[in-house]
Amino acid sequence: MDTTADDMKLWLTAVAERQDRDAFARLYRHFAPRLASFLERSGLNGAEAEEVAQEALATVWRRASSYDPRQGAVSTWVFTIARNLRIDRARRAARASVGIRAIGHEEPQVAPSAEETSLAAERDARVRRAMATLSPEQATVLRLSFFSEKPHAEIARELCIPLGTVKSRTRLAMAKIRALLEQES
Amino acid sequence: MISHHPSDDSLAHYAAGNLGAGPRLVLATHLSGCPQCRARVRSFEAVGGALIDSCAPADLPADGLERVFRLIDAPEPIRPVAPVALHPELPEPLRRYPVGRWRFVHPGFRWRRVTLPEAPDANVIMLRVGAGQKVPQHTHTGTEYTQVLTGAFSDSFGRYRAGDCVEADEDVDHQPVVDPDGECICLAAVDGRLRLDSWIGRMLQPLIGI
Ligand SMILES: [Zn+2]
Repeated sequence: MDTTADDMKLWLTAVAERQDRDAFARLYRHFAPRLASFLERSGLNGAEAEEVAQEALATVWRRASSYDPRQGAVSTWVFTIARNLRIDRARRAARASVGIRAIGHEEPQVAPSAEETSLAAERDARVRRAMATLSPEQATVLRLSFFSEKPHAEIARELCIPLGTVKSRTRLAMAKIRALLEQES
Repeated sequence: MISHHPSDDSLAHYAAGNLGAGPRLVLATHLSGCPQCRARVRSFEAVGGALIDSCAPADLPADGLERVFRLIDAPEPIRPVAPVALHPELPEPLRRYPVGRWRFVHPGFRWRRVTLPEAPDANVIMLRVGAGQKVPQHTHTGTEYTQVLTGAFSDSFGRYRAGDCVEADEDVDHQPVVDPDGECICLAAVDGRLRLDSWIGRMLQPLIGI
């Protein structure tokens, strides 16, 4: 049976409240293999992707109590953890070559307002519904612009479609997601 | 009231972690003052979460879970302490970054460099342009992000005030002019290389090192 968003919340709560290793093993089985393939598509090699996925899961364990279910789905939270680890890793590599220390994340340190939080509760479900309405072409372009740092010109070459088509498909995909988000909010 | 925001494309790249360190800092500065764009970024993060769920699982080594438990049981790596605010007068998150002294170019035009220790080759600068002055005409190879910190300026596309973020594509050849009633300070980064065509540009180029 498929893992549902509610299962994940339940498992993560068990990890946060009583360091439940069985619940964590379930989270691992869902996320680690998917994160590894996600990270590989984002440009890491197989070994790096595996390593970052493991670090991400270890971070899930350590920060479990900082997850706020009102802020969105567990997957979204895990995504931001993996993204930050990937950025840190790239920066560590850059720093190692010049030998200077880190400053830390430049993410704005703003506590979300009550309004922002209540909107977040519905957001993930709406985003998923919006993504389901994309045409296969739009979904491909959205995925490519999301997974890779490649500029549109390179995506166009890879898909053998004109640059204008990549731009218009991205715009359409974005507009569709935005329209659904705004219409339901 | 903020009336100019980064494009959805840039916000998506920000959320995905695929934006260069310089533009990332400019967008983070905009986000710290813009709830609308913060919500947008969270939506794109939700897209990221959905994409993870829909990924075909990779084959992982059989002892993967044990390895994660070993990481968990090892002492937690030391996390860098929150850096002190170096420049409390600047908006978050900019205040945590070392900023050089203002350099004089000509009356009414100064600039200083913002150093990103984690990305030494990022080109992030602050521009300080006097009331009624023109910003040097320039074109660039990548997207240019400009966040207005204080004051206001206009170009042929509109008027930009504190809190606004202007995103200019490579094909944009623009010449912004600062409002007549006060100076304007901006934060700017280029995702690509800056080409300054004017005499000021030729003078700035060796100074900025781009
Ligand atoms: Zn905004």
